[in-house]
Amino acid sequence: MATNEKVDVVVVGAGASGSVYAAVLAKQGKKVVVLEQGPDWQLSDLTSSDIWGRRVKPAGGPFILEGKHPVSYGYQAGWGVGGAALHYFANFPRLLPNDFKIKSEHDRAHDWPISYQDVSPYYDKVASDVGVSGDAKAEEIWRPAGEPYPMPPMKTFRNGQVWIKGFEAVGIRMVPAAVGMNSTEYKGRPACIYDGWCHVGCPIGALANPLVTYLGDARKSGAEVRPWSTVTRVLTNPEGTRVTGVEYYVKKGEPQVQPASVVVLAAWAAQNPRILFNSATDKHPKGLANSSGLVGKYMMTHFASGTLAIFDEDVENHMGTTGAQYMSYDRYGKTSHKEGFGSSFIVAGFALKTNDLGGIANARLDLFGADLHDFMKRAKRGLTRIGTFGEELPTIENRIELVSDKDEFGMPLAKIIHSYDKDAQAVWNANFEEGLRIAKTTGAKDVWSARGNMPTIHLMGGTIMGTEAGNSVVNSYGQTHEIPNLYVAGPGNFPTSGASNPTYTIFALSLRGAEQLAATWSTIAG
Amino acid sequence: MNSIERRDFLKATATGVLAFTTVGAQALLSARQAYAQNVPFRLLKASDAETIEALGETLVPGARAAGMAHFLDQQLSVPPEEALLEARILNVRPPYVRFYRNAIAAVDNASRALNSGRNFAQLGPSEQHNFVDAMRQNKVQGWQGPGGSFVYLVLRSDAVDVVYGTMEGYEALGIPYMPHIAPDKRW
Repeated sequence: MATNEKVDVVVVGAGASGSVYAAVLAKQGKKVVVLEQGPDWQLSDLTSSDIWGRRVKPAGGPFILEGKHPVSYGYQAGWGVGGAALHYFANFPRLLPNDFKIKSEHDRAHDWPISYQDVSPYYDKVASDVGVSGDAKAEEIWRPAGEPYPMPPMKTFRNGQVWIKGFEAVGIRMVPAAVGMNSTEYKGRPACIYDGWCHVGCPIGALANPLVTYLGDARKSGAEVRPWSTVTRVLTNPEGTRVTGVEYYVKKGEPQVQPASVVVLAAWAAQNPRILFNSATDKHPKGLANSSGLVGKYMMTHFASGTLAIFDEDVENHMGTTGAQYMSYDRYGKTSHKEGFGSSFIVAGFALKTNDLGGIANARLDLFGADLHDFMKRAKRGLTRIGTFGEELPTIENRIELVSDKDEFGMPLAKIIHSYDKDAQAVWNANFEEGLRIAKTTGAKDVWSARGNMPTIHLMGGTIMGTEAGNSVVNSYGQTHEIPNLYVAGPGNFPTSGASNPTYTIFALSLRGAEQLAATWSTIAG
Repeated sequence: MNSIERRDFLKATATGVLAFTTVGAQALLSARQAYAQNVPFRLLKASDAETIEALGETLVPGARAAGMAHFLDQQLSVPPEEALLEARILNVRPPYVRFYRNAIAAVDNASRALNSGRNFAQLGPSEQHNFVDAMRQNKVQGWQGPGGSFVYLVLRSDAVDVVYGTMEGYEALGIPYMPHIAPDKRW
């Protein structure tokens, strides 16, 4: 097995969280290697097409999807440099103070080991680093004040504007959506041109994907990114007290070792537990950082209730972004719906494509043949939608486990078992009902709910943070409780999910963790 | 994929067309052109292609002429990480051809059992419509194979791709395509 020269930090995964660690530590002068299992995508690879856009998503993946509501892995996950943040929608809502203390306030789920005030400065730093457009002042009706966003809100289009009357009718306040996109030129990156291809990757850099933000910064500061490098194990010293590096494969070649003083696992909520399990030793028989048995537990997703409407007017549904134009936290209280417990987060106004998973043709999945073609002709200019995300509470039965089948590197596959509980299903239904009430007051010609199988959007949990090893895998910085020079980053660290899109919080928590690691380097790296 | 095929594929990625083998040579064609030129299939049997085309045409009018069978044939013959199929994001486990073969077998087996030995492609238009409507709702009697509603979703997505998801499809519907980086051969 070939052994590479030792580095200060090896980061596993070149997505949102890994790129932050790489940037912060490389800027500190640390020797950083980032191992990414997929290709080294360039902006020029991001063809404007839903068909070609599928290349930046995994093909199969090492996961078997089980449960009543299997995780939508293929659509959510990333594959290659940039990770899922290469094709994310760049909605940048933040968690709210009530997300951090559900246990204290409602005796449900877990408290976070930190408060909103601990994360808030990092939301502001990330906004400055990557560029966020929005109206921070307007958001203060729901959250404590912070720094203004560096750019004004994005443009709105009729596909968003037509919903405002309906929201007003039911007493929901909408404000400009916070998005990781450029409403104006920012740090040498151009302003958005509103052609709606965000979800297949923005090749002009108007959207804050890792290539043009933290990963670009990391590379400029000397970090080395190695694509096609699949990590199979984190290695430890004989005593099991410290990690010493990782084992990985370049394509299907021989295994290699990358020694490092610190290992940061940033391979997403599903893969991080799989690697920890596969790194078991006699000192860590259940896998690394898993004496509590909580690695792979408390997997969570968001669900969404979509409401669609067709208007007689041209709502310019080909214009805008895949992110939202408007957002609201007016149903974010945990008891907003009497039918079920959990927050809801509302968004409105999106560009639509014909054949995206959430596009025009799939707005009426029951239609086919001539009926579908008639619908396409009616919907092409008049169709628009709103969506309400819902919070899933963590349950220990939603989990990741290794199975006996193995991948091409001899690493066991894993299964992700996921089912929603009654609260989630009740909130999902309540949000559909409210969506219809909103839609019916807009003057739309035809309105309906986008019901189908209950969707699983975003993936969180599996390495949750907490106060000690008995109740969690990592501390609030992402440092594992059991091995001080092993960090885990990303949405897997969320102990509860909230209802807002997670990537802004992923960036913020990663920045907080990376800065702590840099500040205490000599203690941690040894 | 051999090196020549790989080079063609990468070129196709850049230009937006697909590599097909015509008589004795590689050619870069759109799926519609491959259908029109009756390009031989790489992987699909003629009967498979017939069923796919009939299903496609039932799901989305125009899918046959848009080259749905050629599109699938080409996509199923490249490594899964290079495939552009909706199956990729609907969590179908590679190799994707296994799913399609099972799906086609399920459709034709059920069709023969219910329609005096006739495959799906041999049914009349209204019979095909009714069969697909039942498949959509998991109500085909004696169905054996991947879930009927899931087969409906995947095949419908493929048909939507080739008819509505191309630059040509947008143009036919009257929707501005507005690409940053255009698939410049209208695919």
